[in-house]
Amino acid sequence: MARKISQAFFLSNTYLLRERSNNSLIRQKRLKCGFAGILSCALLFLLGSPVQAQELHKIEFAAEKIDGGYYAYRMRQHLVSDLNGGNAIDVTARYPDGPTIPGPTIVIKEGDEVELTLYHQFDPATPAHEHVSVHVHGVHYDIESDGTLEYINHFKDESAIPVMSYKYRWIAAPGTAGTWPYHDHNMLTHNGAEDRGLYGAVIVNPASNMTVMSSGNSRQTISLDTVAKDYVLYLFDDAFAGTEIDRATGQQSYGGANPALTAQKNTNVRFHLIALGTNFHRFELPGYNWPEPGTDQLVSAKTLGPIEKYVFTVHATQNSIYLDTALNNLLLGMRGAFLVSE
Amino acid sequence: MNINRLRSRIKAFAAVKFFTVTMLLSGFAFSATHNIVMTAEYVANGQPAYKMISHTSSEGATPDYPVEAVIPGPTLFVKEGDVINIELTNNTQTRVGFLVPALSGLSGNQLAPGQSGNFQFNATKVGTHVYGDEGSHLTGLFGALIVDRQDGRVQSLIEGDGTLIPVNQSDLKKEYVMFMIGSTFWGAEIVNGKQRPLWTNPTLGALLNDTVRFHILAIGHAHTFHLHAHRWPDETNFEALGVEPHIIDAKILDLPFDSHTFTVRAGSGVGTGFWQYHCHLVSHMESGMAGKFHVVDPAAGGTGESIAGASPNGKIWPNSLGGEPGLVTFEVTDEPGSFFRSIRSDTIKGATISPSLEIVPPGSSVHFIMSETKGVHTITSLLWPSDANDPMHGDHRQIPMDQTKAYRGGGIVKLETPGLYVFTCKIHPYMFGAVIVDDPNTAGLDLGKAIDIVTGINNLPTISDLATRLLRTFFVATVQENWQDVTSSQPWHVKYPNVNVAIGDLQGNLVDNLPLKDVLESRYGQDITLAALFNPVTPGVGEVWINTQFEKTAGKTKPGTITVLDAATWKIKRKIALPQINMNHPHNMWTNRDQSIIFQTQWFDTKLTFIDRATGALLHNVHVGDTPSHVMTIPQSDVITVAINGENGVIGIKPGETEPFVMMPTQGPGQIPANPHGHWISPEGTIITPNINTSDTGFYDSNTGEIIARPAAGGNFPAGPHPIAIGMGIDKVYTANLLDHSLSVYDLNGNPLSTINLLADYDPISPTGDTTLQDRDGDGLVTVGVLPIQTPVDPTGRVVVTANTGGTITIVDTSIDKVVAMLPCDPGCHGANFGAKSGGGYYAYVTSKFSNQLIVVDPDPNGDGNFSDAAIAGRISLVAGGDVPTDDKIASLAGTGGQGILAVPNVYNGWVQHLPAEWRGGLTPAQLNPVQ
Repeated sequence: MARKISQAFFLSNTYLLRERSNNSLIRQKRLKCGFAGILSCALLFLLGSPVQAQELHKIEFAAEKIDGGYYAYRMRQHLVSDLNGGNAIDVTARYPDGPTIPGPTIVIKEGDEVELTLYHQFDPATPAHEHVSVHVHGVHYDIESDGTLEYINHFKDESAIPVMSYKYRWIAAPGTAGTWPYHDHNMLTHNGAEDRGLYGAVIVNPASNMTVMSSGNSRQTISLDTVAKDYVLYLFDDAFAGTEIDRATGQQSYGGANPALTAQKNTNVRFHLIALGTNFHRFELPGYNWPEPGTDQLVSAKTLGPIEKYVFTVHATQNSIYLDTALNNLLLGMRGAFLVSE
Repeated sequence: MNINRLRSRIKAFAAVKFFTVTMLLSGFAFSATHNIVMTAEYVANGQPAYKMISHTSSEGATPDYPVEAVIPGPTLFVKEGDVINIELTNNTQTRVGFLVPALSGLSGNQLAPGQSGNFQFNATKVGTHVYGDEGSHLTGLFGALIVDRQDGRVQSLIEGDGTLIPVNQSDLKKEYVMFMIGSTFWGAEIVNGKQRPLWTNPTLGALLNDTVRFHILAIGHAHTFHLHAHRWPDETNFEALGVEPHIIDAKILDLPFDSHTFTVRAGSGVGTGFWQYHCHLVSHMESGMAGKFHVVDPAAGGTGESIAGASPNGKIWPNSLGGEPGLVTFEVTDEPGSFFRSIRSDTIKGATISPSLEIVPPGSSVHFIMSETKGVHTITSLLWPSDANDPMHGDHRQIPMDQTKAYRGGGIVKLETPGLYVFTCKIHPYMFGAVIVDDPNTAGLDLGKAIDIVTGINNLPTISDLATRLLRTFFVATVQENWQDVTSSQPWHVKYPNVNVAIGDLQGNLVDNLPLKDVLESRYGQDITLAALFNPVTPGVGEVWINTQFEKTAGKTKPGTITVLDAATWKIKRKIALPQINMNHPHNMWTNRDQSIIFQTQWFDTKLTFIDRATGALLHNVHVGDTPSHVMTIPQSDVITVAINGENGVIGIKPGETEPFVMMPTQGPGQIPANPHGHWISPEGTIITPNINTSDTGFYDSNTGEIIARPAAGGNFPAGPHPIAIGMGIDKVYTANLLDHSLSVYDLNGNPLSTINLLADYDPISPTGDTTLQDRDGDGLVTVGVLPIQTPVDPTGRVVVTANTGGTITIVDTSIDKVVAMLPCDPGCHGANFGAKSGGGYYAYVTSKFSNQLIVVDPDPNGDGNFSDAAIAGRISLVAGGDVPTDDKIASLAGTGGQGILAVPNVYNGWVQHLPAEWRGGLTPAQLNPVQ
């Protein structure tokens, strides 16, 4: 994560943190779902017939140590093919060359499968680094792909070790649509070292290719094809980290700590929040509200605990600042720009 | 009234109520009335627990409850609209009640020991609700009340093929009740109406494709629950609304009494296996908050039995043979000395002497619960048997125990290897809890052949001086009766357990049956006569403010006072306890430019307190963050800075304001939190922090927040130096390294210059003897500084005075950066700070935690600039006489716990230059311009 230190301008008069948010009250709008609305929502969920072909993603990750006491995953290769491995396309160019924090965002859709091979690239002489793994949330996998230690799974150490890689197989079966974290589960402690940089996300887009968005004060069902950007924002104990993905090209870019997010005015953009670490957070994006998943409400703040995920889509209309208003997180400068350009 | 009569009256009352309520609720066709008789008892390890005596329902069948008292308490299943009458008898020694916060709010009737009483609830709200006691809800008095819909419909599940399936209660093969308490799961299961306790972190068994329901409940501390390889709809009313469910696999529980219920089909889409469930807070994971969901295939012969975890009714000393693996419990508290207090200490203290000592057989577990503290902490192994973390014999994944971040919660760890384990808190490193894992088949309690220490000392024989010195320190630090009282006419007597122990000699053999008391008394003396009190001949200037951090007063539950001493007369002017804010562990102070306001940190709390210096009155009490340790102003700007010891930065408050406006991070984003403790600030505004958690000294530009440098601290030992306090000279910075027993010396840019080893003359390994201390570094002096803490440099930058917890004061001459003198101090020697001496020069004021006097050190009695003749100029009692003004009545531990010190006027370089005229008058020209 960014060797760049967040510039706090500790005593500077230009420091703007005093605008301690008055937006912290949740503005909830209850929207009566009309008959048509109920029907379309229900249909969205029940009619899961894939509109696109199922694909196999063959992915190679390296786990590496980087300066500053961090560890990170690096995308070595990402091939997309049909489920039998035919018609492979190499999409590795979507990702930066080096290791990144957060790790590469794996974008797939309901029905797809993933084969992820992890390579251990730490100093083999350091016993604490004996194991490293990828444990994923949300999607299907059998016990061999849990990414845990034998200490936990009573089966085997599902780790890459200095002399051997490890292959994980995931199935984004129907019902697993959503954005899910992946992270190490085996390094340094019996539950891993996700808090040291070894984390990322899998976006499983729904087979329906639809989502619900807020636009002003209303909920609107839209096709994901109309969503221009995905922002994957991790709420760490003292900073945001993030990846911005151009959905047209799949290109991923990393902005370091508290990155500025960019959007074109009047486009649809999707936020994927994942909390990590030990602290709790309260996310706000002043000037915007969004549909609360599983309900018919619009909300403008969300409390999140470690490893919870939260996805929402908004219509970009104005500049804002995303921020964490919990306890000292705001004082620490947990905030970044949401820049909406004409 | 005797209990039986009371009971019959309650029953009669209940019967009338039952009739009335049934009439009132007649609109509810199926509503039932439940008459439940329960008791509150102690289980074998001393934790309180609820026990079911009887349950009758107007509906007929009731569950098959455990016959014993259980944690969590019996699970109460009712339906919406039912009436629940609880008759509770309190068989514990404390007041106990029965609350269901979701149905009836947060407070209610409490029963005295021996009393019975009646509690009634209407099951108006469908859901899984916490029931419990107001006071002991974290230590055992909690359970689940499950209110289901009349139609039996429960949470829908999502199949492996993505189908959403409605579920009825009758479809459920098993229900699991899992409480997330501290950093431990407390579980129970219900199968066909039969309830079974599964105790701590159990393995939950299920057959493949069984429909099972999880009730996750949490009290107090916040958690996130995660179950591997399963997913479920979040508890929203998505079905009624006709919207998509929110499919999740992790859920926040952050309300004071919170719950989350979901249903899964075991292994659907993922198959069999040991699937871990755990809290997903990193610190809670690191402190053991995990268990397994074991899904088996019946076709392969699996039975789906659950396996209970360590039980409070299992094997613990002295009942160490037979039975299930046991569990002992330490409450983490703010009570001086008893910071880790065994919950059964009242019953075993006769043998253990210390309330912070527990004894278990191999294979039993120790459990910590932060139930009586307002601070954040870690549960960290200070020392452990050398075999315990050997991958071949022990459990290197659990021992040594540690967490990356301080947090709220607790911890649990299974101990397999015999020997001595000592746990501490990294943030408050004088909190100690010790466990002897004793093999019942050997003679004497097993201290183990050798121990490893967190600083990287391995295989230290337990017969060594360092091992027994640490053991003695443990008994002094954790037993209030063992603290020195300078006002007593009796010699200082230290009580030790009257037990035989087995320890390891230098050859690696176990020596059985040594009387512990005799070993410690012969090595460290007994009934020691304390030095007499006397006032310094030359007065000091102004006032000396002292944090008598352990002194207890009648009007508050938390300890700590400020003792204000008049330096002209050496008389106590005032005691300030601030009962109106329950001031909790006042630790360190500073003052504003005109010396009118005292800023006071509360180290086991979250507050910075502003006090009117002249009157001792409370001005403001401000939230600044978890476990604020030290406070200091920036000399030029007067911005108040507070090191947030339990977090990852230093907050700033602008002069004249009370709310923090910024927090300067002490590390890069996402890096391990530094947990700064006792910082200092240069006249130019460089903030220098001792980063206890990252073993370095941080140099930061206060104007930009930029990290200038973070050089390593310590170096005597391989690891864990625990830098804790900063002293600042003219062109040098001194960091005291608590566990490295050293001072790190840097220039102002953070470049390391040297390390001063305070143990150079000490032989830690040999058994205690004449040569334990001798001149080993050839400087002609015998000096030792065990566990150095506060280490200020005098305003002229020429001399460092270090308070060493081990009971000495060391004096370092900064022109050569060597120890030039050592003075005796009290046990728990802790605080040191300089103030002006009348007529010129300075005194160093020194406090000790486990005594009640202030030691006044004159570092240069003859004023010749040579500090080798440093001397104790006075010893002043911190016990107030009846005539001293105070805002609360002193109750116990009078004058003890000496830690932070502030001399007013503040004469340190950088601040003295800004003193207002009224304070300049009492100072000499040299004191006003200390740096020539």
